[in-house]
Amino acid sequence: MHDHEYPMPIRVPFFTTGTKVLFGIVCLGLLAFAYRFVFGLGAATNLDNQYPWGIWIAVDVATGVALAAGGFTTAALVEIFHKEKYHAIVRPALLTALLGYTFVVIGLFGDLGRYYNVWHPMIPNMWQGNSALFEVGICVMIYLTVLYIEFIPIVVERFKGRVNFRGSLKSLNKITEFVLSIADTTLKKVTFLFIIAGVVLSCLHQSSLGTLMVIVPSKMHPLWYSPFLPLLFLLSAISVGFPMVIFESILASRSFKLPPEKKVLSSIAKYVPVLLTVYFIIRMLDLVYRDALGFIFTFDSYSIAFLIEMMVGVIFPIVMLFNPRVRRSMLGLFVSASAAVIGVVINRINVYLVAYQPLYSTESYFPSIFEIAVTIGLFSGLVLAYRVVVRIFPVISVDKTIYDSEMEKSMHLSKKSGQVTK
Amino acid sequence: MKTILLGLLTLMFIVGSMSNVNSHEHPLRHLDCSECHTCDRPTAKEPCLIACPRIAAAHSTSKHSLKEAPDSMVLNTLENLYGPVAFNHKQHAEMSEMGFDCATCHHYSPAGEIPSCNECHPAEGISVNLSQPNLKGAYHRQCLGCHREWNHETKCIVCHEPERFTGAEDVVQDPTDILGISHPVITVPTKKVYDTPYDKGPKVTFYHNEHVDLFDLKCVDCHQEENCGYCHHLGKTTPVVKTMEEVHSICNDCHLEDKCSKCHGYEEKPPFTHDVSGWHLSKYHTDLECRNCHPTGKRISTMNGDCTNCHAGWNQSNFRHSVVGLQLDETHLEFECEDCHADLHYHQTPTCDNCHDDDHNYKKEPPGERL
Amino acid sequence: MDKSRRKFLSTAAAATATATMMATTGHTSDRLGHNPDEMFSVLVDSTACIGCRKCEYACNKTHELADHPPAYFEDQTQLQLGRRPQHDAFTVVNAYEDKGAKEGEAYVKVQCMHCNDPACVSACLVGALTKESHGPVMYDTWKCMGCRYCLVACPFQIPAYEYHDVLTPRVRKCTFCTERLHEGKKPACVEICPNEALVFGTRKEMLDIAYGRISANPQRYQDHVYGEYEIGGTSWLYLARADFQTAGLPLLDNQSPAEITENIQHGLFKSFLPPLALYGLLGLIMHTSGQREKSEESTDA
Repeated sequence: MHDHEYPMPIRVPFFTTGTKVLFGIVCLGLLAFAYRFVFGLGAATNLDNQYPWGIWIAVDVATGVALAAGGFTTAALVEIFHKEKYHAIVRPALLTALLGYTFVVIGLFGDLGRYYNVWHPMIPNMWQGNSALFEVGICVMIYLTVLYIEFIPIVVERFKGRVNFRGSLKSLNKITEFVLSIADTTLKKVTFLFIIAGVVLSCLHQSSLGTLMVIVPSKMHPLWYSPFLPLLFLLSAISVGFPMVIFESILASRSFKLPPEKKVLSSIAKYVPVLLTVYFIIRMLDLVYRDALGFIFTFDSYSIAFLIEMMVGVIFPIVMLFNPRVRRSMLGLFVSASAAVIGVVINRINVYLVAYQPLYSTESYFPSIFEIAVTIGLFSGLVLAYRVVVRIFPVISVDKTIYDSEMEKSMHLSKKSGQVTK
Repeated sequence: MKTILLGLLTLMFIVGSMSNVNSHEHPLRHLDCSECHTCDRPTAKEPCLIACPRIAAAHSTSKHSLKEAPDSMVLNTLENLYGPVAFNHKQHAEMSEMGFDCATCHHYSPAGEIPSCNECHPAEGISVNLSQPNLKGAYHRQCLGCHREWNHETKCIVCHEPERFTGAEDVVQDPTDILGISHPVITVPTKKVYDTPYDKGPKVTFYHNEHVDLFDLKCVDCHQEENCGYCHHLGKTTPVVKTMEEVHSICNDCHLEDKCSKCHGYEEKPPFTHDVSGWHLSKYHTDLECRNCHPTGKRISTMNGDCTNCHAGWNQSNFRHSVVGLQLDETHLEFECEDCHADLHYHQTPTCDNCHDDDHNYKKEPPGERL
Repeated sequence: MDKSRRKFLSTAAAATATATMMATTGHTSDRLGHNPDEMFSVLVDSTACIGCRKCEYACNKTHELADHPPAYFEDQTQLQLGRRPQHDAFTVVNAYEDKGAKEGEAYVKVQCMHCNDPACVSACLVGALTKESHGPVMYDTWKCMGCRYCLVACPFQIPAYEYHDVLTPRVRKCTFCTERLHEGKKPACVEICPNEALVFGTRKEMLDIAYGRISANPQRYQDHVYGEYEIGGTSWLYLARADFQTAGLPLLDNQSPAEITENIQHGLFKSFLPPLALYGLLGLIMHTSGQREKSEESTDA
């Protein structure tokens, strides 16, 4: 346990008006998802041979992975660069990443025509190392595993010494305790291996998501097509990591009626404009190198999409967050961080959908009602799952005083229950 | 020893093969090599022949007339999806004559009989020479090369019997659709009367049959490049109208020196009789072809009326004078022709002056009995 | 301006790459280790195509595709619709404007180009698509996950997906009639083509014929064989009188997009060294910064 973090399960009611609405959306999403599995991709989506990828790939997968980047950037900052003062945000970021990737995989299941073959990339005789998608696939699989392993200590912390199955499962208590203690001791020794692996895997597949589109030089608008897409994707993922943490932390604290981690968030925000500036410069250099600058000011739909992406997602947050006063204001932080997050969302949609120019399409793609329902449902599901997990596991850090008193209470409780079982 | 022997053998082989090359006399030596070969040095092994040797000069090695050709034939070597093709050779040949000639299709016809398509274009399998179409390709390219000019829809059943592919009940024969049925018979007109805007002779009477039969013109002499595509061209909605210059230039090939009234008149003109030339054809000459007497050039050459133009060998001993309607009496039969017909001008009235000093006149006192 | 520049750059890159390849291997094998000269190939002479759609018919029958009556394949109006290959039609013939042709239009058959260095093969993450050494780009239904990245990657927009199939959708495209090739037959479309607008043989033979036709009839053809160099060359080659782009064939660089991506991929993954190096570097940083933190803490204390 670190001095900088006092994580504990948050005691908030699960059902509020907000969660009820989200729950409704999730149900609709589930219905749409079911529709896809019963009636097929053709019935559920507006995909065709010209537009084989829609928002399920562009948003659910590509954007989902990018927005889960907070997990590895925070891990790198805190665990590798040992900026211990940010420890409080590691667990929320880890949980966001874990849930993010889980929902990416769920979303991917819907998009895959033969979802039951999803295990194929694990079989060595089907490995196709030339494929950027293979790299994405294998890295996401391993990284998801790593994320779950990284989460085990939190589970252990919650249940160690407190395993209490009732009724017929009572006999399992001892074994579970044993497993937990083994996991605890071994993991303590090797966690750092997984943390570094997580960062490396993230760098690889975040960039490979950009490499995916390098294969279509003739089918993408020059404002987005670049052989440097992998670098740009990696940089934008890294720079959206902290804004995502800020965005989600402020939202969570509001929702859980907790005081926001003002100091931590303001402090971490100072990295954002620097990272975004690096991204911006490289993006511009790339455009200059490829002679594509001229396309910015043609003011057709592509140029407008590009301008919105850069204004909202890059220039606005840079200008805002270089200002210390904005960084200290929670509203300023929230607005700028949201802008950076939206910027990445727009970027991923631009790269995967807007810039993609099929050669023979007669009409452009717009997602069907089912696709939209599933996508929104997935994001709502993620929020709900987050709420469920933080209610069970010690993820969100609270004030030291609250933490101490709560710990005492729970220790007391568990002792009591322990006595009862004896 | 062995090596020497081997070397000798190799040498002999090389010399032999070289002499082989030299002794090979190419049948079409007179042609430019590049008409048939793509490479500079073709060999027997790698002749690098261009697809279908459409040799400009080759067809001139043999001339065939339409009369030798079959009227119609059935192309049925390759029946598969469709039935065979009933091919009206005569109609096609007549049409081709107006364009180029038989070589329009028979693009390679060395001396002798015209080779059939499958002598060069094999019917089955992957052809030895990939650049040369198989029989199916050769047939279709030959036909469709022209047919697709007139017909946007390259319907198979224009030529093929359709049953096999579509099933008989699918075929709806529309009698007005000339693509769906074979081409109507092309009739050759005998006489055409044109109304022209020419004041001094609005009517032009044209005897087509005379031009073809009497004057021995070939279709192509007037109908230059007027093959099917001339009328049946894609997108052509109005009939072809020739300008006055174009019309006149066709006739002017022969009639350049004639007056307008040769063709133009207020009334329809009668058919041609030889009398219009001022020379009434007697019974012996009516059966002759024009060319027998007027052999030179396209234009009918004028003749001076001297019988010796044609009958050079005639003299007093072998000419039966009675055919002109005058049986010479014994005395006159002895004379040489030119004794009476001065300067051998037979169309002029003979003079009697050479022998008879008085005003003897052959009309008054003929030198024999009039018949 | 920028396009031509890019084209030049990539052409130069491709040329160097090929040169290196030739120098190292010593014979004419391409990036995938095949010899394109000896691959099976089809030459599509669009000036000879009459738009009869018999190739569509033969393809349909051979692969047992959509259930159309024979009359459907006689319907010439279909040529004007700008159709694309579908899951139930591996090849289609389209009309395009050709002012040089007597009809004012010419026809072009569209199907998988069977690229020498296919983007789809490079894209497929489970190796469900493969380029055979004798030419065809083949699809293995069993391996496929249905991610449709091949549809995204194809520069000719050829693969079609069975979106309507709920459980076992497949990627469908021209197979080059591999089964027929193995039996020593020509592809069905080539065999049926009445006008021999399609010629079948090895790629070298097809190129020889193509250039032979161009030089024999320079006014009839563009002086270019489409597919000879485009995206690293294709097994199907095209001749046309009008612009190839008018005929619906995309303007493409000579470098295969697969090559660009794979250069990046292999750069990042060369014997796993870069990831391992990153791993090591991060480990080192973790260690040293951890030490510093500890020493700071101890000095604080």
